Amino acid sequence: MKKSREFDNILDECLERLLAQGETVEQCLQSFPGYAEELRPLLETALATKKASAIQPLPEFREKARYQFYAALQDLERKRSRSFFSWQPRWVVAVAIILVLFLAGGGTVAGATGSMPDEPLYPVKLATEQVRVALTTSSLGKAELYAKLAEKRVHEIIRMADEDKSEQIEKTAQRLDDYLGKIADLAANQKAADAVAMAPMLEKAPAAPREEEAEIAPLPAEEPEPMAPPAAGEEAGAKEEEAAEEPVKEAPRAREALTAEKALGAQRAPTAREAQAKEAEKARIVAERRAELKATVVRYAMEHPAQLRALLQRVSPETRQALLRAISDSENGYESIIRSLEEP
Amino acid sequence: MQDEESLVRRAKELDQQAFAQLYEEHFDRIYRYVALKIGDRTEAEDVTQQVFLNALQSISSFKWKGVPFAAWLFRIAHNQVVDYLRKKKRKPVTLFDESRVVHSDSNPQQMVERSMDVEELVSATKRLTEAQQEVISLRFAGGLPIAEIARIMGRSEGAVKALQHSAIVALRKVLVVRVDEEVQRI
Repeated sequence: MKKSREFDNILDECLERLLAQGETVEQCLQSFPGYAEELRPLLETALATKKASAIQPLPEFREKARYQFYAALQDLERKRSRSFFSWQPRWVVAVAIILVLFLAGGGTVAGATGSMPDEPLYPVKLATEQVRVALTTSSLGKAELYAKLAEKRVHEIIRMADEDKSEQIEKTAQRLDDYLGKIADLAANQKAADAVAMAPMLEKAPAAPREEEAEIAPLPAEEPEPMAPPAAGEEAGAKEEEAAEEPVKEAPRAREALTAEKALGAQRAPTAREAQAKEAEKARIVAERRAELKATVVRYAMEHPAQLRALLQRVSPETRQALLRAISDSENGYESIIRSLEEP
Repeated sequence: MQDEESLVRRAKELDQQAFAQLYEEHFDRIYRYVALKIGDRTEAEDVTQQVFLNALQSISSFKWKGVPFAAWLFRIAHNQVVDYLRKKKRKPVTLFDESRVVHSDSNPQQMVERSMDVEELVSATKRLTEAQQEVISLRFAGGLPIAEIARIMGRSEGAVKALQHSAIVALRKVLVVRVDEEVQRI
């Protein structure tokens, strides 16, 4: 037992000298001539094991892994510093993210634009797209951007199907499905925001007063009626659509402003009309953009599944299965968006 | 060790330079360890990536108690490999094709030394016990000293040295038998 432990120690010492200090087998054996016969075959096996296990990661994998790791690090850092950035202007955040991306990859970001899911720079392309989404402020704008990205994913699936890469098709189809779900959510929230934005006009209530108007407005003689709390959807919509946000926040003040208008006479009337016209213009633009988004989605709903279906005859059974799932997901996804975009 | 402590402290604060240094220092050997344990290059790549992403997510919970960062990282790698193998519910496969030809113009002892490649090593380690496999993977692919392996495996240094000894003896036997079979076939 004792001898065995002694040999274990000698073997480990020799291994340390061979593996870490670069000594030769002969040098080690010279230090322990009494164990040379027993040590030699083990040290030779150990050296062969070391040599065989010295595999290196492929350069393209190393590069891809590095980008993904740094993207995750950026993401974590952004989440952690959100409290700091929350009071910074949006452009500061944008500049910071873009700087980081360029410092990390130089021209790689530009080079990644046309990359495909099986290429090393593809994660950079996805990260860049996420930055674009993060920098888009309105829910309608985000929905429009996701629609563009959905079309990109479909083109990528077509390319991957040509190369019979079913695994990449599944991953890309998952992203496509994710984007379509996001568009449907954004469209539904944005619709609620529209409803809130339109409500004061429908009730012929005056638009929100300017700050100085509110300050000089006398308190109403009677207790104002309590306002009904906004629905959850309205709150969500108001957060995401800045254009529609103003009337929601200022609604409790509207009654005070009306009193103020009465007190101040006809000179306040033009301001209210101007604000009303502005709101109407906003609502018109939003409605136009929703209609355009709907037209795009309706077109994609016909084109994308059809483009994918056209590939079914010329791919392997495995790729065919992946494509069938992608087709089904895209059909359901687009249908859901169209329902969200349709008028109530 | 003091330098590593400072590096890890900075990494916990998401210092990019510190994280980059730790990542570059450990990436290759974590990959080698995972590849040897899993035996499939593509899967090893995915698992290696996940190891570092997990490390990033859990760095805030890392407490410096004098244990090297590598021991913590290899522990994550070990758990990730176990998780992967459990999910896949299959025996690890080989890294490369098996068409490799062993030269016949050498004696078996020389052939053990010369001919073993990663595929053969993966295949040979599968005949070892789990503990022996772990020691071989950490020692030779991970390049860790016995003291760190003992921490990772929760065993005494003496026990790990004994495992190392028995693992090399077992590997030797497997490889010599394999070479003998090749010689007979030729």
